[in-house]
Amino acid sequence: MRPVAAASDPTRHFFQPIIVCLTVASVALTLFVIWISLHDLSLMRAGREKFVGLDNYIRFLGDPRAMAALWRTVLFTVLATVIEIALGLAVVLFLDRDFAMKRLVRTLLLVPIIMTPVVVGLTWRFLFDPATGMANYLLSLVGIAQVDWLGSPRIALFSVLVADIWQWTPFVILLVMAALESAPTDPLNAARVDGAREWQVTWYVLLPMLRRALAIVALIRAIDSIKAFDLFYIMTRGGPALSTETLNYYGYIVAFTNFDISYALAIAIILTVFTNVALLTMYSVLFPKTGDR
Amino acid sequence: MAQLSIRSVSKSYGAVQVLDDVSVEVEEGSFVVLLGPSGCGKSTLLHAVAGLNPIDSGSIVIGDRNVTNLPARERDVAMVFQSYALYPTMTVAQNIAFPLKMRGLDRRTSDEKVAGVARLLQIEPLLSRLPRELSGGQRQRVAIGRALVRDPRLFLFDEPLSNLDAALRTELRAEIKRLHQSIRRTMVYVTHDQTEALTLADKIVVLKAGKIEQTGTPLSLYDDPDNVFVAGFIGTPRMNFLKATVVDDGKALTAGEARVDITHLKARLDNGRTVTLGIRPEHLDEKEGVTLSLAVDVTERLGSTSYVHGALPSGETVVAERREDQPRFGETITLRFQPTRARIFDAEGNRIR
Repeated sequence: MRPVAAASDPTRHFFQPIIVCLTVASVALTLFVIWISLHDLSLMRAGREKFVGLDNYIRFLGDPRAMAALWRTVLFTVLATVIEIALGLAVVLFLDRDFAMKRLVRTLLLVPIIMTPVVVGLTWRFLFDPATGMANYLLSLVGIAQVDWLGSPRIALFSVLVADIWQWTPFVILLVMAALESAPTDPLNAARVDGAREWQVTWYVLLPMLRRALAIVALIRAIDSIKAFDLFYIMTRGGPALSTETLNYYGYIVAFTNFDISYALAIAIILTVFTNVALLTMYSVLFPKTGDR
Repeated sequence: MAQLSIRSVSKSYGAVQVLDDVSVEVEEGSFVVLLGPSGCGKSTLLHAVAGLNPIDSGSIVIGDRNVTNLPARERDVAMVFQSYALYPTMTVAQNIAFPLKMRGLDRRTSDEKVAGVARLLQIEPLLSRLPRELSGGQRQRVAIGRALVRDPRLFLFDEPLSNLDAALRTELRAEIKRLHQSIRRTMVYVTHDQTEALTLADKIVVLKAGKIEQTGTPLSLYDDPDNVFVAGFIGTPRMNFLKATVVDDGKALTAGEARVDITHLKARLDNGRTVTLGIRPEHLDEKEGVTLSLAVDVTERLGSTSYVHGALPSGETVVAERREDQPRFGETITLRFQPTRARIFDAEGNRIR
């Protein structure tokens, strides 16, 4: 006999069609993308594509430009996430006291987040201009030699990183600050009475209480960093000498400059799988199954 | 020698004076309760003793050390919070061991002490759990364990039972009492619950609006209150207050139709003076004495006794204990009390003895 409750639950008429639509859309699209990535579809040779099996994926493994882009993506994601979390946390702990204009400071923190990446990218491009930019001017004031911020292959990636940190650290600050404010203060006082110094209160009591919030912010930032595109597009277009080309950006080049659609989709799938594996690993490390401490 | 001396401590937040020249002496090994309604400054005072709250003036001496300007961790006190304040990310064992860890105690000694405290408080099965897996009563036991483990000079309790349900509160209250009797350590306990204060304290300090109203043993506060506030705050149901006038050249009072002899008072009162007569509900059920007639409104039956709420002919409401019968709504009963049981207060609320 069928369970009466499930069959007679009238809300199923609402949620079941939605589930069907979403399933069809995502599964169908994913299958379609995988299907195309198994061909050699190119806009240069429209209508003459044929099934090539896993050739595109094998090509990826042997493509030094792709592997370099993958490595660069990893480097950028790790650096951006770690620095933004560390810097954001430091600022939050520093701001965790009552001072005049606290609300104003908090509002100002929103500015970089609200700004469109195009504006942020252009602004930093001007700042990093080797001849007229503010960055080199400031360096000249303290007598340090000029730096070709966006023109040197060794430095450009880190210049984009600076812009990303500038734009997204405030996001970390806002979220961690909210977590800090909702955290109970009695345990901190208890720790003080129990003989802890201020750094011990922070390290043993406060930071463990903020762990969940920090982990979630780190996940969000990591996902965003892997997918970062706009800052790279505006500031360097992957240059100089491909030194800032991430996998995401390389996929864009393959699709819209080389019109090699199948290979671009293969790259996209690899990026997706890579992202999922990396984030699931990160998630299981941050939230262990045995009582998420 | 006093284990804790609070000397002329004052503190204000902006224009609000939270503590106004408060002085308390706590004897070694005694149990002192700071009692008062919410907002009277009792918690502020306790936090000041703990070193969590700087004071504006005055000094705090623990043992023979002036700790007024020392940070909390150097005061060698232990505190139990209303919210339990357990470290949410640590297990029960880690919570209890934390004060030892902060003192750099080696692992083995620490484990032994934690086990000892766990045995004393019967929380051994909980040692590997996290605070959020515990009930309120268990959490507060762990918090008490964390305070006990390092043998401090002074125990501070900040309304530790307020978040618990009634049955658990009674149980833990007895346990705290037992604990104090067995370890004989100096304890300062903040509460707004006068039952807790009366059952636990060697000495009660009644605070109101940052000032000490009266200090004394539970019985002395109950029998011999200094003012209307203390008289009304201590004892449930609270003391009845009736308006009275001095007559017969200060030999008696009239309250409604009742005439109360006050020749036992040392003070001489002028004829016609208005005073307040206070009489506790449990003293209104005597065989003989001054009579009042009460129009019964509600009777609360508690099993062993009953409390009758009603109005006097003057319109004043009175609560009276009734041990023999349980009058119903609409009945008029006669209350009797001994004049010596009555407490007399002047118009400012101060006691006339």
